[in-house]
Amino acid sequence: MGVGEFLSGGVADVRRTARGFRWGRRAQVPRSAEPFVQPPTGTVFDTGWARRPSVVAAREVAQRVGLEPLFRAQVRTRVEGLDVLERLDGPVIFVANHASHLDTPLLLLSLPDSWRRRTAVAAAADYFFDTWWKAVGSSLVFNTFPIDRRGGSMAATPGEVLADGWSLVVYPEGTRSRDGWLQGFRMGAAYLAQTHGVPVVPVAHRGTFAAMPRGAGWPSRHEGRRREVTVRFGEPLRAREGESVRDFAPRIKDAVAALLDEERTSWYEARLRSAAGTTPDPAGPDVATWRRVWAQTEPVVTEPHAGRRPAPWSRLRAEVAGRARSALER
Amino acid sequence: MSRPGFVLEVDDRTPPLVVHEGLGFRMEEFPLGTRVVYPPEALPAIKDVDGAILDALLHPVDSEPLPELLFAGMRLTIAFDDISLPLPTMARPDHRQRVIEAVLTLAAEAGVDDVEIIAANALHRRMTGPELEHIVGERVFRSFHPQGKLYNFDAEDRDALVHLGTTEEGEDVEISKRAAESDLLVYVNLNLVAMDGGHKSVGVGLSSYTSLRHHHTAKTMVHSRSFMDHKASKMHHSAWRMGRLIREHVKVFQIETTVNNDVFPKPFDFLMKREWEWNVKDQASMLAARRGLALAPQKLRHKIFHDMRAPYGLTGVNAGEVEAVHERTIEKVHAQQLVEVDGYSDVLVLGVPYLGPYNVNSSMNPILATCMGLGYYFNSYRGHPMVKRGGAVILYHPLDEGFNQLHHPSYVDFYEEVLAETTDPQVIGEKYEKQFAEDPWYRHLYRTSHAYHGVHPFYMWYWAAHAMDHVGDVVWVGGDRRVAKRLGFRAASSLADALEMVSGSVGTSPSITYLHNPPHILADVKV
Repeated sequence: MGVGEFLSGGVADVRRTARGFRWGRRAQVPRSAEPFVQPPTGTVFDTGWARRPSVVAAREVAQRVGLEPLFRAQVRTRVEGLDVLERLDGPVIFVANHASHLDTPLLLLSLPDSWRRRTAVAAAADYFFDTWWKAVGSSLVFNTFPIDRRGGSMAATPGEVLADGWSLVVYPEGTRSRDGWLQGFRMGAAYLAQTHGVPVVPVAHRGTFAAMPRGAGWPSRHEGRRREVTVRFGEPLRAREGESVRDFAPRIKDAVAALLDEERTSWYEARLRSAAGTTPDPAGPDVATWRRVWAQTEPVVTEPHAGRRPAPWSRLRAEVAGRARSALER
Repeated sequence: MSRPGFVLEVDDRTPPLVVHEGLGFRMEEFPLGTRVVYPPEALPAIKDVDGAILDALLHPVDSEPLPELLFAGMRLTIAFDDISLPLPTMARPDHRQRVIEAVLTLAAEAGVDDVEIIAANALHRRMTGPELEHIVGERVFRSFHPQGKLYNFDAEDRDALVHLGTTEEGEDVEISKRAAESDLLVYVNLNLVAMDGGHKSVGVGLSSYTSLRHHHTAKTMVHSRSFMDHKASKMHHSAWRMGRLIREHVKVFQIETTVNNDVFPKPFDFLMKREWEWNVKDQASMLAARRGLALAPQKLRHKIFHDMRAPYGLTGVNAGEVEAVHERTIEKVHAQQLVEVDGYSDVLVLGVPYLGPYNVNSSMNPILATCMGLGYYFNSYRGHPMVKRGGAVILYHPLDEGFNQLHHPSYVDFYEEVLAETTDPQVIGEKYEKQFAEDPWYRHLYRTSHAYHGVHPFYMWYWAAHAMDHVGDVVWVGGDRRVAKRLGFRAASSLADALEMVSGSVGTSPSITYLHNPPHILADVKV
């Protein structure tokens, strides 16, 4: 073997190894070999510190001085139905649809201060708690705590947090929607509400998918303007006497679906449809993926509050959007 | 806790995978979707080996305890598996040494004087003194070898053989006279793979060509599906019939040992790890080994590999009646090697390593490489071959080691004269086998030198008969073209080329299965 051949063989070997073993990047396990990898244990991040008074105070500053101005500079927000909270005290579970990273700041910043300071957010352990800086950052700013979304069972923490008098934000879909429409609900929220005897407040987000879907790192603008995102709180639900978790969970989903319907039409129309059992399926129509995404990325155009007539261009846009929607429903 | 074997499906996350090829290995990037059969990880080894052996001797299966079978004035013969097991050669002390020492301790206590120890090498080459000593240990060697009481079995010494009769199928049973006329024959086996042991130990290891010619034929091999499953193997059925006849003449106390999958010592232990779990050190070891081997001359590479001593751990030892013991042994072997594989594929890929049973301290000549790939590895299945009928086998081996004149003289003539004429195992057997088996010069070399018997290359070719009958195409990646042609096969420079060459029979996007061994695997193919 000549020197040249030896060297070129060596270079080829190193190149193949560097590429195959992903030098400088995270090593990967072939998909078919994954079940044999021991799941990491003992890495549950303790977030008890994030609910101490000193950290609550620090979070107040972070949210008020940092998060809120930044958030409002990027999107326009609209909040409906907050009055339900006036009739409640003590911890509740906010159950919301989940389509974007904007959902959590939108929900938290919409809450009255006294509620916001006492609300924690359930966050996927494998996403928000996989590195220390993400764990510390999200716990500090959003008061998150980790839950295991793969096992199907909730970690011990949510119950403890509830028992300490904190309200929770739970996204029962488990992950952000890929097309903006509602996915299947898991049972965790219903289970927690039933075991701890706390009410569930359904919450519907709209427009967050259009503004910042999965994969986007920053809220987008529509025609140079901030996009509008809305959040609507619904009537609290309680598990009935003897009602199983399996029966309670669909009721929660129906409540979120009715809120989404209300978002698009009006409170009374949504009530009528809900009573008749004809609330549109929040999972969306069974059409091509692009049409589902198309429908969800439509900019939110809402009627401005009473007393102000919408500008002609807004009315035109609303008209166009309405036609597109009815075409989709057909 | 050792993890079981499994079948990997190559995807975009899969790193290059190790493929053995003679005195080296390569890192191969397989097409997406290739199934890779990985062996189970090494089972935990028994810590108290001597305790386990003594326990097996004192509490045997379906037999009286060994001390009750030993008495003063008896003729005791101990036979043991030869150098073809295990692969690679085990680091000292060999488990057979520890078993033989335990048996001899009990025999000494019983006052047995007439003891002979025989290496059951059948038609394999005679082992040298140091090779015998490595297996039985210094103490046993010193006590028996100088007196001529520890020796290699000689299947051509007419005076030392006895014909015990014929089976119901008319098969001659001719074995070592000393063994047959002993009051007790203790057989010390090392069961590396599922084909070893049982009645094959005495019935094959201590028998002559007169016996072996009945089951070592192309026809038997084609109907042994596979010979790694003794219940479905015609060869084993024959050996079992012979074993039952032997049992009527001599009391056999069978001791079978099983080992785990710890085959590569440091610094080659990365070869036993699953590639995506390699750390930086493993990757560096691989690169260093590849470059080192590329630089080393053939002789040095041969030395590096053949000097490896496997740190095998003992996973089980059972003693007593042959068949009952063997059932337990097979259970242990399956626990260590069995991997469930869902269905067969169009192409089977096998990496032929540097070592097979017949080239320990010798060279892997083209016939042995064929036997290793199309014989042993192809037959490492239970149920159905891993490749469909008419499919293709792609083997990796350079086929460049040539022949060892000391160990394999008859192989040279087999290669030069017989294979030049035909490669059909059936035709070869009918036309040439008897001539080679009875050739006086080969006989002389077998008896006095260290040569494999004249008929041995035929047996190697028969081992591959089932594969040759079953598959359509055989291509050697990296193989010497002229040699591959002589063997009746083709050679390719890369896997892509080989797949291109077999596309005529399996199409352009065939399903591929790669058997990732060594360590040993037995694929349980569910069809």
